[in-house]
Amino acid sequence: MNGQRHATVVAAATLALTLTPLIGIFEGLGWAFPVMLTIAMIATAGSLMRAAGRGQGLQTLAMAVTLVVILTAGFGGGTGLLFVVPMPATFEHWASLAQDGVGAIIVNAPPVEATGGIMFLTVLGVGVVAILHDMFVVGLRTPALAGLTLLTMYLVPVSVAPDATAWFWFILPAVAYLWILGDDNLRRVSAFGHRFTGAGQLVGRSFPSPMARTARWSATGFVAVTLLALTLVPANTSGLIDNVAEGIQGGGESYGLGDVNPWAQLSGSLTRPEEVDVLRVTTDDPNPRYLKMHVLDELTSDGFGPNDYDGTQDLDSLDDPGDEVYTAEIENLQLEAPVVPVYGAPADLDIDGDWRIDPDTGVIVGDRSDMGDVEEYTLRYAEPAPDAETLASAAGMDPGDERWDANTARPDVPELSEIVADATAGADTVHEKVLAITQFLSVSNGFTYSLETSDAGNDEAILDFLETKRGYCQQYAASMAWMLREADVAARVVVGLSQGSRVDGNEWVLTSHDYHAWVEVYYDGPGWVTFDPTPASGVPGSVTFPWAREPAEEEDPGEEPSGNDITPEEPTAAPTDENGQTLPPEEGASGGPSEEAADGAAEPLLPFHPGWLALLPLLAVPFAPALWRGGLRRRRLRPGTLTAQTAWDEAMDLAQDYGVSIPDSYTPRQAAGVLAAAAPDAREAAAALGSAMALHRYSPRGADPAGLADALRDLYAELDKNAEPRAKYRAMFWPASLIAKASAGRAEQSARLSRRSARTTDRVRSALRRPRRSNNRDRHGVGGRA
Amino acid sequence: MTFESSPEKPDGTMPLPSTAQGPAPLSPQEFKATAEAILTNVEWVIEGKSHTIRLALAVMLAEGHLLLEDVPGVGKTQLAKALARSVDCSVRRIQFTPDLLPSDVTGVSIFDPEKRDFVFKPGAIFGNLILGDEINRASPKTQAALLECMEERQVTVDGNTYKLRSPFMVIATQNPVEMEGTYPLPEAQRDRFAARLAIGYPDINAELALLDRREEYNPLDALRPVADAEMIVRMIAAARAVHLAPELKRYVVDLVAATRTNAQVRLGASPRATLQLLRCTQVLAAMDGRDFALPDDVQQLAVPVLAHRLIPTTETTMGGGDTKAIVSDILRHVPVVSHPGRF
Repeated sequence: MNGQRHATVVAAATLALTLTPLIGIFEGLGWAFPVMLTIAMIATAGSLMRAAGRGQGLQTLAMAVTLVVILTAGFGGGTGLLFVVPMPATFEHWASLAQDGVGAIIVNAPPVEATGGIMFLTVLGVGVVAILHDMFVVGLRTPALAGLTLLTMYLVPVSVAPDATAWFWFILPAVAYLWILGDDNLRRVSAFGHRFTGAGQLVGRSFPSPMARTARWSATGFVAVTLLALTLVPANTSGLIDNVAEGIQGGGESYGLGDVNPWAQLSGSLTRPEEVDVLRVTTDDPNPRYLKMHVLDELTSDGFGPNDYDGTQDLDSLDDPGDEVYTAEIENLQLEAPVVPVYGAPADLDIDGDWRIDPDTGVIVGDRSDMGDVEEYTLRYAEPAPDAETLASAAGMDPGDERWDANTARPDVPELSEIVADATAGADTVHEKVLAITQFLSVSNGFTYSLETSDAGNDEAILDFLETKRGYCQQYAASMAWMLREADVAARVVVGLSQGSRVDGNEWVLTSHDYHAWVEVYYDGPGWVTFDPTPASGVPGSVTFPWAREPAEEEDPGEEPSGNDITPEEPTAAPTDENGQTLPPEEGASGGPSEEAADGAAEPLLPFHPGWLALLPLLAVPFAPALWRGGLRRRRLRPGTLTAQTAWDEAMDLAQDYGVSIPDSYTPRQAAGVLAAAAPDAREAAAALGSAMALHRYSPRGADPAGLADALRDLYAELDKNAEPRAKYRAMFWPASLIAKASAGRAEQSARLSRRSARTTDRVRSALRRPRRSNNRDRHGVGGRA
Repeated sequence: MTFESSPEKPDGTMPLPSTAQGPAPLSPQEFKATAEAILTNVEWVIEGKSHTIRLALAVMLAEGHLLLEDVPGVGKTQLAKALARSVDCSVRRIQFTPDLLPSDVTGVSIFDPEKRDFVFKPGAIFGNLILGDEINRASPKTQAALLECMEERQVTVDGNTYKLRSPFMVIATQNPVEMEGTYPLPEAQRDRFAARLAIGYPDINAELALLDRREEYNPLDALRPVADAEMIVRMIAAARAVHLAPELKRYVVDLVAATRTNAQVRLGASPRATLQLLRCTQVLAAMDGRDFALPDDVQQLAVPVLAHRLIPTTETTMGGGDTKAIVSDILRHVPVVSHPGRF
């Protein structure tokens, strides 16, 4: 079958076209060959089966087998029998590959390298889609459905990386879809032997139809209009169109690093159900603080974005602070990032690869090096700990400082200004403002930790957060920094890892749930000082910073550290006295916070989530027509509403449900006769219903509805008894009367629409014709007759 | 040219109580009983044609005129005569021939030498029930005279207007197969007949029964009237009181309108058709003992009342279609309850 082979080629080609947006999320084009090979082999398998005259079931089976063979050969890791037959070990290998792939997808932002797990998932996904696509286009001849597969393929890159997917990638999938539809129609029409044109000419098979020109023009027009609409319609901030300019100018690199969106990495890691170990730290610091990765100090109405790190210097410029210096040996378990997580003030870094430091932010940035290539590194660092008194008396950043603008810039959000003015009323010094805002965001002011919030950090999300008082570190940190900037204090957001948990002595493990965001505030003198507004209960490895409280006031139960890890710590050298003072007695620490931890931190880990309850209604969807139909029947038969008319409507609907055809040109008596023939034992019931309806409609006295409900029940039971099992189920779950009602409504709507458009056309036509007519007849007032 | 009078006042008694009680309105039951009596009487003569007889009586009680169109010998004249005899009223028969003059129908003024004046001699039209046999054999002029009387229910001769009797009904018969020497009724005149009925051949059993019955005598001769003219007038009045629901009127109007928009029809039914269809419907409902009409009544009457008024397009005629089929088709497609918003 030449036509089918042709259609197979078209199906494969269109699917390949639809894959082009993947270019945006993969690094390089290495992924393309295996994917294309998969598509080609699956198409060939399907085509061969078709050529052998096998049915759709065998075709699909053949294609599925081909996919398995490809996966075994390509991703079996040598476990397959003869490299192509999957063995149990192959499946285990695949499972681990898939797990790796999912992990990589969560941790990495595009473009990602197409290797290992991600490649496996890609080939698997494309293979499955290719089978469905071939089935829709060639096997089942339902090319319209193929739009679904194309859409699936298009949605993957768009949802994974809205930033990396430029709008113009939409063109190719759209063209591919039109191609499928057009090709199928051509095939359908060609099946008649000759193609027929509007003008009544016959056109040979090989010549394009004269009408094709119109079709081509309208297809082009549709694509153009769609794209135009896409550019004009306001999309949300992470939509395609916002990235148009970036896509063109920056080649999709929307952040300075081009690789990672720290916010996405943060929320992705925190909401990820299973915990993955990221780093193992061995340090002589008895109470390590947070590991800094990214500094986000570019504030727009979309929220904080990462610094460009464009003034990096050589690592040699790290100066040795001299005083308390700790050494940490950090083993990379599963971290891929273009930055090196570092503690406090790094003094010396021993690491493979090319790394540079951004002096403004203290971030160690890879110069074409990635943490993925680093097995372990050694860091010497200091943990400066300014005391509260120093901070209380310190001034903020000098407005004349060259960094002032960058660190206090904020979009104008009047609502936020009001809130900040209220919160910081009476605070004069920088530290007072910081404490006031910390207090404002504290648990005692009603703020609670919750991962169940949107992760957008834009102005609306911040206002939402301040209103609902529920959020996690992202909102806390972003809000605090923003509010501080609003109060003219230089502040920025830092994203990194929290303390983690101690496994043994001075060994700590940091997991994907230890990703965290906090705030740095600039004080004249001490420099950037760390504050963490997030309630300690929500952060597993939270650290309390002793300076983050008012010097006089020491006990604030709302802000006590949950101390999962930190509580039992002896006060040690670096934080020394302050730490010792602020740490509460052990009873206090072990009492309250553990409960908070239970409903805060443990929440995302629970396998059962209340959100699943929202899926319950979905289960009811298949029963919805039956429920609706039953409700309608009960409503009609309720003694208050029961009339001959409602009873008759119900009888007619029953007839339709059970496939008893009653034309609307039948009188009630004739219809009752048809019903009686369909349900012979309910003959009296049908007759009673028919004559009641006739009386109701045509007699001046109306009809008595008494007994009609019973008659209907008889009729229903009898119809049900006499129906074939299939008709029974259809009447129950897919009642034809409901469908007819729905489509009648739609038909009515479209009829209205077409009437309206016809009127408009008439009006336009007559308006166009008017002047010509009056010219011809040389008369006035003809227009009135048009 | 033949004039034939019905036997004057046979001695049959009226078994109906209503006549004695004066002009009290007829109850649906009384109406039904009387109608049944008439029908039984007529069926005694015409076997196996109860439906046709029923419709014929309905047309009569709706003050309409009936056109019987059928092949010779199936009992057209018998039906008309039986109907006339069952009702105790005057029956006149006019055998239409090409040389029949209008004055033969309407009457003529004759000079009476004794009175030295013209005296009006009433024509055959002055009866309650006029049987016009083979109406299409008369010249158009005579046909026109008859049809004018049918519509106006009065005769004007030499400037004097004479009212016709009530009830007044014309039962005309015509022969569809005879082509030579006939003058087919123009459509405008066909429109004046409320209904056209065909009797059709009897089925085998009915024909056997007919042979048995007619072995000894003509049952027509033994027929006794079961109602009189006054009763008929009361029945006509009672039928007009039958309730017509708005939905039913709408249905009738929809049906008639459908004949006008049908692609197979060159000329649809007139508003007069609508009126007559409704009146016949009322009678049929009353004959069923109801005081309200049903669409079932309308459907029984639609073909007889509408079909003879339609003029099919040439294509339809050449394709062998006839107007009865068109009306049946319309009945199959027009919804009984018109849906708002549907056209």
